[in-house]
Amino acid sequence: MQAFDCAIIGAGPAGMAAAIALAKGGANVAVLDRGARVGGQIYRAAAASPLPDASVLGPDYTAGAALIAEFNRAEITRFTGADAWHLGDDGRVLFSHLGDTHELHCREMLLCPGAMERPMPIPGWTLPGVMTVGAAQVMLKSDATVADGAVFAGSGPLLYLIVAQYLRLGVPVAALVDTTPRQNYLNAVPLLPGALRQAGQLKKGLALLREIRAAGIPQYRFAEGLEILGEDKAEGLRFTANGQPYEIASETVFLHHGVQPNLNMTRAMDLAHRWNPQQLCWQVEADAWGQTSVPHVSAAGDGAGIIGAEGARIAGDLAALNILHRLGHLSEGERDRQTAPGSARLAAMAPFRAFLDRLYRPAGAFRLPQNPETLVCRCEEQSLANLRAGFNQGARDPNALKSLTRCGMGPCQGRQCGHMVTGLLAEWQAEPPEAVGYYRLRSPQRLLTLEELSRFQAVPAPAQAEAAE
Amino acid sequence: MFRSLRSDSAPKITLTINGQAVTAAAGQSVWSAMVLCGQPVTRRAALSGQDRSAYCAMGVCFECMVVIDGFPNQQACLRQVAEGMTVATQTITEDRGAPDAGL
Ligand SMILES: Cc1cc2nc3c(=O)[nH]c(=O)nc-3n(C[C@H](O)[C@H](O)[C@H](O)COP(=O)(O)OP(=O)(O)OC[C@H]3O[C@@H](n4cnc5c(N)ncnc54)[C@H](O)[C@@H]3O)c2cc1C
Ligand code: FES
Repeated sequence: MQAFDCAIIGAGPAGMAAAIALAKGGANVAVLDRGARVGGQIYRAAAASPLPDASVLGPDYTAGAALIAEFNRAEITRFTGADAWHLGDDGRVLFSHLGDTHELHCREMLLCPGAMERPMPIPGWTLPGVMTVGAAQVMLKSDATVADGAVFAGSGPLLYLIVAQYLRLGVPVAALVDTTPRQNYLNAVPLLPGALRQAGQLKKGLALLREIRAAGIPQYRFAEGLEILGEDKAEGLRFTANGQPYEIASETVFLHHGVQPNLNMTRAMDLAHRWNPQQLCWQVEADAWGQTSVPHVSAAGDGAGIIGAEGARIAGDLAALNILHRLGHLSEGERDRQTAPGSARLAAMAPFRAFLDRLYRPAGAFRLPQNPETLVCRCEEQSLANLRAGFNQGARDPNALKSLTRCGMGPCQGRQCGHMVTGLLAEWQAEPPEAVGYYRLRSPQRLLTLEELSRFQAVPAPAQAEAAE
Repeated sequence: MFRSLRSDSAPKITLTINGQAVTAAAGQSVWSAMVLCGQPVTRRAALSGQDRSAYCAMGVCFECMVVIDGFPNQQACLRQVAEGMTVATQTITEDRGAPDAGL
């Protein structure tokens, strides 16, 4: 079967920018995304918004339409609704598309799976009605669906963004409960001079906060001890702020305290990973061009470490130029020349990111469950107490804990509990997260049926590939 | 309460959710169609039987697994509605006797 020069998994800003650069450079590219439309998290449905007026979502969102249009014009083999579940270092990619199994081969692989939200395991977080802020974003952008009278709780720019978007749309908001610890403001001060070099970004953030304040919705700061009210479904949020107890009734609570890379793809490929102590998450090891511990596998965007949408787009471009060099389309000197402006731009953005990471660093009490009854593993219903019992029986690393307790064995394959399990085992043993490690993952990265496997199709690269070779 | 801000001009399709006939906009996710018709429970947890509902809406928590046209373990947040589709709350999340799905 004719192989593609490069297969890209994920069509967010990173994957789209990379695909455009690769196609321009003469490479034969295939792009897969499990979403029904391209755009990734930030530009979800940006080219075909179901909202009567998408401009309320802000210019950062509407800017996505141009990138999507450029991507759609480029000569790229693309699959949406395509979930990649096996990536081999032999260049084999298996994915589900419209209920069928597809296979393609590639010489270079670029992983752009993006980020997911950091789970927020407060008591009651598994009750219907509790969702992430990202879920509110997705529902708004893809389906124009909103929740009236919701409580938004947590910390970080994406939390304030959705509240502002709701308010602009005239959707009533019950309260914004901010969990950013008081101490974080002090800790972030030394990084402020660096952040000020990107004064525009800082101004944008401040304008958002002012906009929310001006709307006059109830706001609480320095909130602690969050707990979802309700037995069978969410009925509200309980917390303390400045020593005062509060209870706000609502059937919808949206939680958020930052994002972390989607790990399952890079982990299942057994690529080298490292713990990022600033962002408190695992990320794949990659060089300045996104090349991982397996040379023909690169990673770019938030899936390789959180850098935001603009950073993701640049990182995708840099990875593509390096891949063009590896494929023999660009000399080393030409690659270095063409990547220099992007690398400089990424370096210039780093201080602002570091400032955000410090300011919105989530408190330990929200990252790791505090109540013994709180579920860590939503799929297998394993509580903090169950995991502690497994630890007491001798489980010292995530894989041992998994075989003892079934934590991480369910359909999400550890996507929700993985970071918590690393964190808990690290805390219990007073060891750094690197010493504890992460789950060992294997393909397939999703639940499959025999029926689906049996409907099999090979996807050869278009003949034009031969000309490029 | 969830509601839709969509303009009424979007083409409509009809599907069945837990026996209830529901009209939804073409292109909408199954999850949105469920929550908009007041049926947010996607599955029941395997051990406790507790009601569960979509948490992430982006394909990474697997809380939204429903039965679609007889096939279990379908993520309602990733699937789009289709004419004549039948959707049901899932009561078994996995077969404990079966080998682990890929782990
Ligand atoms: C829920 C959520 C909402 C966000 N909203 C915003 C926002 O409004 N504004 C903002 O500035 N930032 C937002 N972010 C931050 C966001 O991560 C970045 O700004 C930006 O989207 C990162 O771009 P990316 O290309 O790295 O990844 P993404 O944009 O996340 O794109 C990754 C793509 O990979 C696909 N994918 C993942 N795994 C597979 C697989 N196995 N098979 C096939 N496809 C796969 C996904 O469907 C996705 O489209 C959000 C993040 C999350 C998690
Ligand atoms: S709601 Fe999380 S996977 Fe669908």
